[in-house]
Amino acid sequence: MLEARWLRRVTLRLRTLFQRDRVERELEAEFQFHMDQRIELEIARGLSPAEARLAALRAMDGLQQRKEECRDMRRVNRIDDLWRDLQYAGRSLHRSPGFTTLTVLIMALGIGGNTAVFSLVNQILLHPPGVSEPQRIAVVRTKYAKLNLDFELASPPALADARANKQIFEHAGAARLLSINYADRSVPVRLPGAAVSAEWFDVFGARPSLGRVFTADEDQPNANRVVVLAYDAWLRLFGGDPGVVGRTIELNQQPYEMIGVMGRDFHQPRAVDVWVPLALPPQAFASQNWFNGSLSVMFRTQPEVSFAQAEAWLKWNAERVAAAAPSNLRGLVKNWGWGMRASRFADSNAGNTKTPMLILLGAVGLVLLIACANIAGLMLARTSARTRELAVRAALGAGRGRLLRQILSESLVLALAGGVAGVLLARGSMKLLLRLAPESAVSGLAARLDVFVLLFATITTLAAGLFFGLAPAWQSSRVDPYHALKRGGRGVSGARQGLRSGLVVAEAALALVLLVAAGLFLRSFARLQTVNPGFDPRGVVTAAYSLPPASANPVKQAAFARNVLDHLQGAKGVTAASIGWPIPFSNDLEGAAFRIEGRSLPAGEAVPQGERRWVTPDYLRTLRIRLERGRFFGDLDRADTEPVLVIDETLARQYWPDEDPLGKRIQPMSGEGWYTIVGTVDHVMQSDLAGDTGRGVFYASLYQRPTAMGSILVKTSGDRSAAAAAIRDAVRAADPKLPLYDIKPMEALLANSLAPRRFAMRLLGLFAAAALLLAALGLYGVLTFAVTERTREIGIRIALGAERGALLRLVVGQGLRLAAAGVAIGIAAAGLFGRLIESQLFEVRAFDPLTIAVMVCALMAAALLASWLPARRAMRADPAVTLRYE
Amino acid sequence: MSKPADLVQGTLDLLLLKIVALEPLHAWAISQRLKQVSGEVLQVSDGSLYPALHKLEQEGWIKAEWKVTENGRRAKFYSLTRPGRRAFEREAANWERLSGAISQVVRLSEA
Repeated sequence: MLEARWLRRVTLRLRTLFQRDRVERELEAEFQFHMDQRIELEIARGLSPAEARLAALRAMDGLQQRKEECRDMRRVNRIDDLWRDLQYAGRSLHRSPGFTTLTVLIMALGIGGNTAVFSLVNQILLHPPGVSEPQRIAVVRTKYAKLNLDFELASPPALADARANKQIFEHAGAARLLSINYADRSVPVRLPGAAVSAEWFDVFGARPSLGRVFTADEDQPNANRVVVLAYDAWLRLFGGDPGVVGRTIELNQQPYEMIGVMGRDFHQPRAVDVWVPLALPPQAFASQNWFNGSLSVMFRTQPEVSFAQAEAWLKWNAERVAAAAPSNLRGLVKNWGWGMRASRFADSNAGNTKTPMLILLGAVGLVLLIACANIAGLMLARTSARTRELAVRAALGAGRGRLLRQILSESLVLALAGGVAGVLLARGSMKLLLRLAPESAVSGLAARLDVFVLLFATITTLAAGLFFGLAPAWQSSRVDPYHALKRGGRGVSGARQGLRSGLVVAEAALALVLLVAAGLFLRSFARLQTVNPGFDPRGVVTAAYSLPPASANPVKQAAFARNVLDHLQGAKGVTAASIGWPIPFSNDLEGAAFRIEGRSLPAGEAVPQGERRWVTPDYLRTLRIRLERGRFFGDLDRADTEPVLVIDETLARQYWPDEDPLGKRIQPMSGEGWYTIVGTVDHVMQSDLAGDTGRGVFYASLYQRPTAMGSILVKTSGDRSAAAAAIRDAVRAADPKLPLYDIKPMEALLANSLAPRRFAMRLLGLFAAAALLLAALGLYGVLTFAVTERTREIGIRIALGAERGALLRLVVGQGLRLAAAGVAIGIAAAGLFGRLIESQLFEVRAFDPLTIAVMVCALMAAALLASWLPARRAMRADPAVTLRYE
Repeated sequence: MSKPADLVQGTLDLLLLKIVALEPLHAWAISQRLKQVSGEVLQVSDGSLYPALHKLEQEGWIKAEWKVTENGRRAKFYSLTRPGRRAFEREAANWERLSGAISQVVRLSEA
């Protein structure tokens, strides 16, 4: 029975949709029949035919409106109307191509920009490519509360404990970065690689696109001569040949079997070309190794386990381990405040780009908001010019809701057209973003439109369409047909003008917020470039090397270093050459704790610590670091002479505030002997111009204590590429199979450290410029429209002898008043926005009067220009023409 | 109270269902019949009759057919469907309950 009723209803709906003409004719006929009957009745009551007709119409109380109500009862009207509204909107927009093009263009830029920035945020923060369910991945951190240290490293026992706890963790994996020399080709290359445990790929849910990944059996010492290639490396080195699986290559002078190629998107750890098994020996998991955190350890939680639960377990386990620490390590645990915690993978992956990315997303959102306000203003102007058309439609029976929907569908069509154009544009702008963005933040990211980005674009488009369509729709639905038609559709209500002025004020305010933010970033950046890093990077070229494990022999390492530097001494244009490791701004740090001779450490006190560097004697001369006191290293500091150290002023101030550090002895806690301090040098910034780590540095002689890794530094008076070539020649002479990498001018290292800021600054500048342009355009539009509407009034004024200068002041004054109102609101809003970006500023306050003053001037200048153009038009009005035109 | 427009919300549907339950009628005849049987008390304005009828039709409670009237013109005749009859019974029962309750309250003697 119920089905029968539904069948009937569906049949009726379908009939209405597909036999519209017939249904319409029947409606006409039904009403006609009624009217005839009523007229007949009234005539029978004694009225004249004409009077009877009027009476019948009165009784119906709006014949067309009643018909429309009957149509509404059919329900399908909504679909039907929507379709017709969209068609009508399309036709009506087609008739004003200028307006349509401008609006779609503004929308396209707004949506395109937002989509592009969101795609970056999506790939960095929300859905890192190649990683499934990133919310289930936790990154283990080791914390030394007393040392104020906190890093994403953990030890093998921490990995083993998590791997054993299947209730909480589905997978646990560890990785350690490796530098691998690959020498199958004529030119040796260095491949960034990682040694990973067998479950590493499972933690990320990553699958190979070819072959397989490691088995647990291969993750064992001496069974580990297998390698998995990254997709990009596979393309680069082997041209994407699927036949490589099963073949053998030589890495670090050892044969490895290639067993698989990873999926295209997987880049964990970042930017590696090859993965080999970590193959930890069983003794690495012994409990005294708990505090040797040198692995990047990540967990994948079980599906129903939350991040908080996983972190709670980690903390609890760390407390358990600390309490059970062997007596020789208990002091260390206590004095250093050892503990463990976790961070979410997405946060760790984003690193310090998280805040700048969110600021940029906010900024580009503001640009879209301004664009919407702009389009709303244009649409208001348009609807007010169409008052007559709307009034006619209202008089013909269109209800308020219908008119509202019609205008809304017009804005929907505009928004969708803009959205589609924007998405097409987004691909291009994504590529641009990736090129502008700092390499470290976006390596491995691609300009790709995935489901999330498209969803974001769709929602943003619809929201924007609704936003800029609502005000005009509401206005138009209040059209009063009686007055509108009587006035010939010319009148404009003050409220509408007010609404549009309000939009312009909001645009100016938002534009000022963006201008000020961009100004603050610019000033911060300018300040940063004047920061003295403590050394002179000019003319210095660096190149890194990593000696293979086969030459893990101090004598060979020292001989190599001497050999390379001897070759460089005589090279043309080279004024100084040295080797250092790690070098400033290379993002390598080597922290070390030490003991001071003759001092005992009170319980609970932090252990002395600093950054450790290994350098050759000419290091100071190459980087022009000043020797403060004592001496630096000489050629005579050798493995068999007295071990010596040079410390920097920061370390000297920290640990020998009232003493002379020269001649004092310290012992690094890595189990070496005592070193005598023989000199002090100036402090050098480590990795960030915006903030020093505050940690002191101690230098050891690389000839006395050789290292496998090193960066060759060459100071040149001439051409940098010649210096780079000289380094290559010197290394080839010393070891023809050793590859060099990161061959860069020292200035580039410094510039790279500023890359995230430069990116944010440039993008913010771009957004601010767009905002300024849109706000000026909005003001121009409103004033032009006001002038056109007041043509008659202006004509009369001129006819009555008004001075043209006064007219100019009238229009320009109106424009500047609106802009000034926007400025007032904008200054307050800029203060609020400033707090959000404060963390990214350097030596500039979030509320910086100078920046605000400059940006207010820029905004007012743009406003002046935008109002002067329509004012000129008003001034030139010819009263004879304008009055006749009416 | 006697103005037709003041018909209690929902009661118009009930009245229309009852009238067409007696015999298939066109809209004009329905309005005349309603006036007639209620002794001129209940009147539906011409304007509100049609939307109401169209609504009932879309609900599937009444169905429409084009037939020839006694004076030879074609008109749209409405008749009750089976779901319409059940709907009417439900509505009528509701109405009985409601009007009974209201009468009781109204007849309460003041203490």
